[in-house]
Amino acid sequence: MKKAFLIIGSFFLVLNLVQAQDLTLDEIMSKHYQASEMEKLQQVNTVIMTGLRVQQDLMPLKIIRKRPNLFLMEFDVADLTAYQAYDGEVGWSTAPWTGNAAPQQMSESATMGMKYQSNFDGILYQWKENGHQLELEGIDTVETKLAYKVRLIRADSIVQYYFIDSQDFLLKKQVSYRKFRGEEIAIENYYRDYRNVDGIPFAFVVETQYPGRTVSMEFDTIELNLPVEDDFFGMPSY
Amino acid sequence: MKHLIQPLPSSFIPLPSSFIPRPSSLVPRPSSLVLLPFTLLLVANTLFSQEVLQWRGADRRGMYQETGLLQVWPEGGPELLWEFTEAGNGYSSPLITDDRIYITGEIDTVTYLFALEKSGELIYQVPVGKEWTINYPGSRSTPILVDDLIYLTTGMGTVACLEAKDGKVRWSLNMMSDLHAPGITFGYAEGLLVDGNTVFCTPGNADTNVVALNRFTGKIQWIGKGLGEHTAYCSPLLIRLPARNIMVTFTAHALLGIDTKDGSLLWSHKQDFEGDVHVNTPWFEDGFIYYITGDGNGSVKLKLSDDGTTITEVWRNKSCDNTMGGFIKLGNDIYTASYEKRKWYVQDATTGDNVDSVKFDKGITVFADNMLYLYNERGQLGLFKPNGPSMEMVSSFKITRGTKAYYAHPVICDGIMYVRHGNSLMAYNVKK
Repeated sequence: MKKAFLIIGSFFLVLNLVQAQDLTLDEIMSKHYQASEMEKLQQVNTVIMTGLRVQQDLMPLKIIRKRPNLFLMEFDVADLTAYQAYDGEVGWSTAPWTGNAAPQQMSESATMGMKYQSNFDGILYQWKENGHQLELEGIDTVETKLAYKVRLIRADSIVQYYFIDSQDFLLKKQVSYRKFRGEEIAIENYYRDYRNVDGIPFAFVVETQYPGRTVSMEFDTIELNLPVEDDFFGMPSY
Repeated sequence: MKHLIQPLPSSFIPLPSSFIPRPSSLVPRPSSLVLLPFTLLLVANTLFSQEVLQWRGADRRGMYQETGLLQVWPEGGPELLWEFTEAGNGYSSPLITDDRIYITGEIDTVTYLFALEKSGELIYQVPVGKEWTINYPGSRSTPILVDDLIYLTTGMGTVACLEAKDGKVRWSLNMMSDLHAPGITFGYAEGLLVDGNTVFCTPGNADTNVVALNRFTGKIQWIGKGLGEHTAYCSPLLIRLPARNIMVTFTAHALLGIDTKDGSLLWSHKQDFEGDVHVNTPWFEDGFIYYITGDGNGSVKLKLSDDGTTITEVWRNKSCDNTMGGFIKLGNDIYTASYEKRKWYVQDATTGDNVDSVKFDKGITVFADNMLYLYNERGQLGLFKPNGPSMEMVSSFKITRGTKAYYAHPVICDGIMYVRHGNSLMAYNVKK
């Protein structure tokens, strides 16, 4: 009986694999945009995500995004409220746990990262127009599911990998790399618990794994099109 | 006040049987010489009889002697009677008397003691000292009220005695400047312990490790050296034995048993792991000490000798750790959250084994009227029915008011559940 299940399971896995490999990059991306309801997303001007940042502690977290590329994350570390933001030109942050709560402008490279992260539609949308390159690397697994592994070479030459589910075509994983104490480490983001908000799927859990640590963002509410002024994202002057 | 009162037992100064009152017709009229010792003993007994309100109630166990409470909560939680939103930052719990509520909070780096009417209106707020704002900003220590005096410590080491009536500071000192306390990572958090005329604090210096102060004057009575380790945020337990009273507390890497008479270290129980945060008050019952701490050190049962001078480890369970949520022991069952596993366990008190678990993240456990109140760090308050070596959730709701982390232990008194969340103190009606 066990053998029969294994054979049937392997058959569907192989079938899945064959079907998955049949698609071109353009077809995969087209299905991904469709699954992500990109058309509906164009009607959305702001997104406010409220929840918890879960590490050892569970701390409040709020992410506010606005078209075309405004971003502000308010989060608590050790019950001290900190910010990371991009106002369309300047990336800034605070780190009150250092004893200095004043906002600091980010470095050029960090600002570049914030610029791409702040893209309201995500970096995979209109990638050609934005000067990025995209390549299909093949099929991989994300936990127990098959996913298309897509290699993104950002316009600034930074390489990232995106894993798009072969069944529902939603983004399930993203891998980027960062230098840490002289060594390059992989940072893996997992996108889980997709739920529809006004017909658009959002991952309500984003889990980040890097060597020795796991941090999750768990959202209780995601609200669309609430009014937020542009200057809300600007670096405060003290 | 009855629910939180921890009176010293009347046997503290035992009355000889010869003083049992007899009908006057049966006994000869005593001479004034015979009456004198009787009178002296009565005075002494009055002097030592104290009403104490403190962290987690009587014996610091988190068990509130209430009856007639709701056994199921309505959808959305019990009725919110009132909310006081000006308590400042803090994780400390309120003290509830017959006619008042006392709570501490931090505003602009200063610790305030607030006195409220039972209806939630402010009576007074008085500054006490500097509060810890480097991380987890806010008041930590839950005050202790003994008769009409309140004792508390601030995160920056101020130890103060205030008059409950008007908040007037009777005396204060600073553990860092006056008792050479070293700085610690998360600020001083100890809920001070009082025994008789003495208040105890744990500066955690090598030479001034544990200090006993006259509670009326603040003068040093003795200085204990403990193991010379820094303090570990623990609100100590007082164990009363015929031979001696013992202050049981943690410093960085050990549980200590300290003779309250002279500060001598009777015994210690070392921790295996590096963690130095041991917030939970130990529990003493039938000759055994139970404690649960975090960072991999887990839960422990110790046998205390009859004279209190030695301990023997009975079991240790490293798979169930709890940093600051406390635990409840009912019969042979211990209920507590594992901070690493993010679920609640039921432990067998005889063997230390985990016999059941419930997923409810991690947090605080208190008990009243046959029900467990679980308050997790997501702000969810759950009402659970302890059912032998298991527990079942009956109701739950989320605390949506207030600010910052959900670390303050709830208090239940006279059918009201008091929940502090940062700057808000909320009173919920949990009476049937």
